[in-house]
Amino acid sequence: MEEKELVQLAQEGSEEAFSVLVKKYEKKVFNLAYGLTQNREAADDLAQEVFIKACSGLPRFHFKSEFGTWLYRIAVNQINDYLRKKGRMKEISLETVQEKVVFQEDDILQREKAQVDEQRRTLVHKILQSLPPKYSLILALRDIQGYSYGEISGILKVSPGTVDSRLHRARRMLRERLGLFLSQRGGNNEMP
Amino acid sequence: MRCRKAEKSFLQSFDRALEAQEKNELEEHLRSCTRCQNKEKEYRMILGVLREEEIPDLLPHFWERLQVKIQERRKVSILPLWQKWSLRVIPGTLVLILVLAAAMIFILPRRQEELSQSEILLLQNENPLLETKNLLEEKKLEDKNMMLIFTAMDEKESSRRYFP
Repeated sequence: MEEKELVQLAQEGSEEAFSVLVKKYEKKVFNLAYGLTQNREAADDLAQEVFIKACSGLPRFHFKSEFGTWLYRIAVNQINDYLRKKGRMKEISLETVQEKVVFQEDDILQREKAQVDEQRRTLVHKILQSLPPKYSLILALRDIQGYSYGEISGILKVSPGTVDSRLHRARRMLRERLGLFLSQRGGNNEMP
Repeated sequence: MRCRKAEKSFLQSFDRALEAQEKNELEEHLRSCTRCQNKEKEYRMILGVLREEEIPDLLPHFWERLQVKIQERRKVSILPLWQKWSLRVIPGTLVLILVLAAAMIFILPRRQEELSQSEILLLQNENPLLETKNLLEEKKLEDKNMMLIFTAMDEKESSRRYFP
């Protein structure tokens, strides 16, 4: 059955049709939320809220865009609200990053590399979460989820030109904050 | 190529293939600019981290949990609707009553209380019994009857009017 038919059936109250739509998009919505929260439970809660909103908003969906785009727009708004409520991290906690990089003298090279990778990952995500939602969302959509400019343009309801400039600005901000954080940490501006 | 343009170019190169000329210019710039080389390395590292993100699976029974939540919300959705409206209707009604009461007190014209003939005479500092006295002392029966008829005309209830 085509997606449009499923949506129409769901709009008429078919729970079965709605469940098919949920199963199709649940992982994508969850991944988007996880990319920004780095928390499985929070991402799951967010994904559930997105589908609850989608369910109650179905009568107002008039096929002006793809169902997926409409759904991601709900997801983006929901995640945006969550990030705003949670508040931006005013300061990146040094301890949270350093905790994971205490090297033991007898560490084997492999373990050391894994720890460095983990440290790098934690750091990048901490800084990603500290960005204004407008920028962290676009990075999540493009660089974590891999959506095309066209798709992002549809989800965020902005022109592809705005997607391009906002994305580049977001990447610049992320790199600059990472550099700033590292220079504050010990004067060494080199990435881990 | 300047550093700013180079940065823009390698940021674009993460999303699409650059044109041959732009690519050559960028490579040439990167060969001679250590700062941009480092910058590009940093961007690659960041995007590498983001793009190689390992995302865990959803928590189990996603649909079943969602189904329960949707049904719960549907059940309680009627109550908030009433609560929402009652919160608006009750104060609205109270305000309307107050406005109407104020209008009745201040805006509507007050009916003047009708004064009896005696009250009017008393307000004019005159003896109310004088008219009665004159009436009773009237010798001529015809005149007396006429006076009684005219006096009785003020009476609202016809049954109490005087008919000789």
